[in-house]
Amino acid sequence: MADLKKHDTPMVDELKKGPWSSFADDLQTRGDSGSQACLDLLGQLELSYKDKETHWKHGGIVGVFGYGGGVIGRYSDQPDKFPAIAAFHTLRINQPASKFYSTKFLRKLCDMWDHRGSGVFNFHGSTGDTVMIGTTTEQLEPIFFDLTHQFDMDLGGSGSNLRTPSCCIGRARCEFSCLDTQAICYDLTMTYQDELHRPAFPYKYKFKISGCPNDCVAAIARSCCAIIGTWRDEIRIDQKAVQAYVNGELKPNAGAFSDRDWGPFDIQKEVIDLCPSKCMYWDGKELKIDNRECTRCMHCINVMPEALRPGLDVGATILSGAKAPILEGAQMSTLIIPFMRMEYPYDEIKELTDLIWDWWMEEGRNRERLGELIQRKGLPTYLRIIKRKPIPQMVKEPRSNPYVFWKEEEVPGGWTRSLEEFRKKHLA
Amino acid sequence: MAVDKEELKKKILEYATKKAKFKSKMYIKDLYKADPNAKPREVKNAANELVKENKLEYFSSGSTTMYGVPGFGNPEQE
Repeated sequence: MADLKKHDTPMVDELKKGPWSSFADDLQTRGDSGSQACLDLLGQLELSYKDKETHWKHGGIVGVFGYGGGVIGRYSDQPDKFPAIAAFHTLRINQPASKFYSTKFLRKLCDMWDHRGSGVFNFHGSTGDTVMIGTTTEQLEPIFFDLTHQFDMDLGGSGSNLRTPSCCIGRARCEFSCLDTQAICYDLTMTYQDELHRPAFPYKYKFKISGCPNDCVAAIARSCCAIIGTWRDEIRIDQKAVQAYVNGELKPNAGAFSDRDWGPFDIQKEVIDLCPSKCMYWDGKELKIDNRECTRCMHCINVMPEALRPGLDVGATILSGAKAPILEGAQMSTLIIPFMRMEYPYDEIKELTDLIWDWWMEEGRNRERLGELIQRKGLPTYLRIIKRKPIPQMVKEPRSNPYVFWKEEEVPGGWTRSLEEFRKKHLA
Repeated sequence: MAVDKEELKKKILEYATKKAKFKSKMYIKDLYKADPNAKPREVKNAANELVKENKLEYFSSGSTTMYGVPGFGNPEQE
């Protein structure tokens, strides 16, 4: 083993003292076992803590041939002090839908990354990708070759591209799921390969697919297009199981809060009174739900999963325009289509996507996300572009502008007037 | 009406080279100005082909991608 250069890192060492495992511990362990890059990472982090500013140069002209995304250039601005991380690029790898791996696959992937990079992973990045942290420019093409030829994996999205579509665990393991989230995620990923790998947009665009309104991938808060499973018939009720919860035979929330004694389960207090639209009623024997008023908050289903289940007439709610707080603050997405049937080949969502992209590519400013464009142009404009009618749930506040602005097609005869006809009645 | 791709690539390259003397990195929307008659998707496809031909290059910060002309800008990060 070559001589390792350890750095003095008192501030980083503080991170190792807390009750939770720390990345500092992991990097130190790997550094002690022979990775100078990990020791240099800790050293540069210490310097950043000291200077209170980053020592990474952000971005660069790195990538693999034919791709405009997936590789994020990272260079140290202190290469003399930390030569092992002078170039330390990040790769985003398109994760398998719902992030299922076999141990054999992971071992092989780790071996490749030990050989060609730092050996440091992030499972998974916020977008969902498998993130490989730290390699040199020369290794990018060999890594890409190995990924595509040995692992059947591809780079994910970064930059002004479609970002790697991401989904919850869906029907693979979750009884609440109203959608085959993995199938939708895979289909969108394959359909939009060009947009994923080559920059196409003013800024990032994200699809996220959640199987039910619990929204485990936080699609509603993060994605430009949130596809969230829902149902339009009735919540299925097993009255015997409801009684079993009331009698204490079943644990509420499937025992998730059993770490302390919360007292006996009180259906009125813990379910009925917490229903946001007050659409539930318990008479001591039977649970009744006015399904027309249900807002799909999932609280009752989460508390009594053996008694209540989503309906069987399933599809997706489509929402648009969530974003992080760069302009005008953070924004949750807006409900656009309350119910869309999601069946292969998913033509309806793709037609909608085409309309959205054409408008955003034309009208969007540099680094303007779809949500910001909707804010700037207004929801009515957006609805006109995507050929949808407004619904009451989109009304944010009562109108404060007394004027009604008609469009030409809404006025009989339009705006065009004959001057000759006018002059017959009015002298010049 | 769709524009001729080779013609569009030529216009984009001319525009980018001219602009690169003052600004080494350009957004895709800057390249739209190379041919106002071309649709955004046509410009994007043509620009991506120019990258494959090594006549343009990508610069990515990780969050945003920009285009540059090889030889212009900061060679330190190439």
